[in-house]
Amino acid sequence: MRLYWQIAKNMWDQAVAYRLSFAIFRLRNLFWILTMYFLWLYVLPQGKVLFGYDQSQILTYILGGAFLSSLIMATRSQDIATEINDGNLSNLLLRPIGFLRYYFARDLGDKAMNIFFSIFELTIVFLILRPNLFLQTNPLLLLLTLIFSLSGTVLFFYFSVLLGFIGFWSTETWGPRFIFYQLLNFLAGTLFPLDIVPKPLYTVISYLPFPYLLYFPMKVYLGQLSTPEIIKGMTVSFAWTIILYVITREVWKRGLRVYTAQGR
Amino acid sequence: MLSLVRSGNEDYGFIQHREDSMKKYLKLWFVMTSRITQIAFVSRFGVIFFTFGKIVRFLFFLFFLVFLVGKTKLVAGYTLWEVILFFLTFNMVDIISQFLFREVYRFRSYIVSGSFDYLLTKPISPLLRSLFGGSDILDLITLFPLIGFLIYTLSRLEAITIIGVFFYILLLTNALIIMLAFHIFVLGLGVLVTEVDNAIWIFRELTALGRIPIAVYREPLSWVLTFIIPVGIMITFPVHAALGVLSFQAIIVAFLISGALLFGSLRFWRYALRHYTSASS
Repeated sequence: MRLYWQIAKNMWDQAVAYRLSFAIFRLRNLFWILTMYFLWLYVLPQGKVLFGYDQSQILTYILGGAFLSSLIMATRSQDIATEINDGNLSNLLLRPIGFLRYYFARDLGDKAMNIFFSIFELTIVFLILRPNLFLQTNPLLLLLTLIFSLSGTVLFFYFSVLLGFIGFWSTETWGPRFIFYQLLNFLAGTLFPLDIVPKPLYTVISYLPFPYLLYFPMKVYLGQLSTPEIIKGMTVSFAWTIILYVITREVWKRGLRVYTAQGR
Repeated sequence: MLSLVRSGNEDYGFIQHREDSMKKYLKLWFVMTSRITQIAFVSRFGVIFFTFGKIVRFLFFLFFLVFLVGKTKLVAGYTLWEVILFFLTFNMVDIISQFLFREVYRFRSYIVSGSFDYLLTKPISPLLRSLFGGSDILDLITLFPLIGFLIYTLSRLEAITIIGVFFYILLLTNALIIMLAFHIFVLGLGVLVTEVDNAIWIFRELTALGRIPIAVYREPLSWVLTFIIPVGIMITFPVHAALGVLSFQAIIVAFLISGALLFGSLRFWRYALRHYTSASS
């Protein structure tokens, strides 16, 4: 455990070493949040309800979603493909470290840094814009939000690792990752709450793993889901976690069979 | 005194020289772009995924706008097709400038590795070489369908006139002049402090605030986006011109500002070149 703690800490230190680049990366993210924030603020003045959301709920969704994405979607596992293609994976294979645990520990270090910056950014946004936010006080819903957020973190990790494993078979790994992030923007509910789309489309999306990364934790926080909906969400999310875990293990085994340490 | 007066033959020679230079740079641009394209197409799957990803990103945001404005009818006083025109105008400026100035993204490596010295010894302008030394064909692939969609969107606007379209194109060109000025400024910054990538990305993200009407943003952000960071001049002005609601004075002001920015950026580039230390070579 101490070993993985140290790996996470190293990742934090690495991010601190390049803090200007990191801060600018976060600043870019902030511009996107501002676009969505002001757009929703404009179309949803106080007292108006649109798509089942009032102003405080939608602004909470946008800003809360921005915070959650720094927990759930911050990752360093995009380095996996490079490690495989450069042959540097061999260094890791020779050490008494679990591959997935190593990368998860790195992710935790990166997430910690992203959360730190996210709190800083959102504090500034809050102090300047004074948004009308929805505060959840139900302890059960807060606990469920935390559980869904952690489950989303694990789901995202498996997705990201699987994309990195493409490196076993191809050097062209950035293209699939680029498409994945574009799909994620829509299907995870980063752009807008998914329940504003037509009902049939929403039903299809709700059986995919993506809504459980961001949309679902935020809906739970807003208290807009019934108990059966939460149970259904928990079942689908848990099932996808198991499926992705099995796929990841299998792809890892097959990948190692074709790994040639090319480049070393 | 004599040196100030050129004969007709000298004038012809001067024009001929300019034409030869132009041909030389066009040929150079074509050759370098061909090479960059060949390199890009080595990763065929990458090209397909990248292009598809860009189209997906574009369509998702468009879908969101159509859905949102379809429900609210108006956003900041603009109809659905007008809001789409804002989004398309932003995409036009973004894609064309990425296509033309892609070499700027590679400039930092030239400075850090010392390869910029090599460019300085060539009988070509280091500025033109650093700006246009290889355009990215991948950006061009998405441009043509975008132009088609833009023409369709313009045809859906009720208030559209030929003069409006003319000024729209004129102000779109003006937006590209502002982008040119910014990229020259970034090159100068790269020479002085090797900082290129972050400056470009911040400016691009700021420009992206213009993908929706600037009137949506509250003051003072809206004012800053119009006058300090000229997003309003780049995106809002062409759209307003197309809709026939932009005054002639505003058009003049837009060109004065872009001219001033271009002049300032060229001065900054010369200043940066004078202080280039060639430390990396």
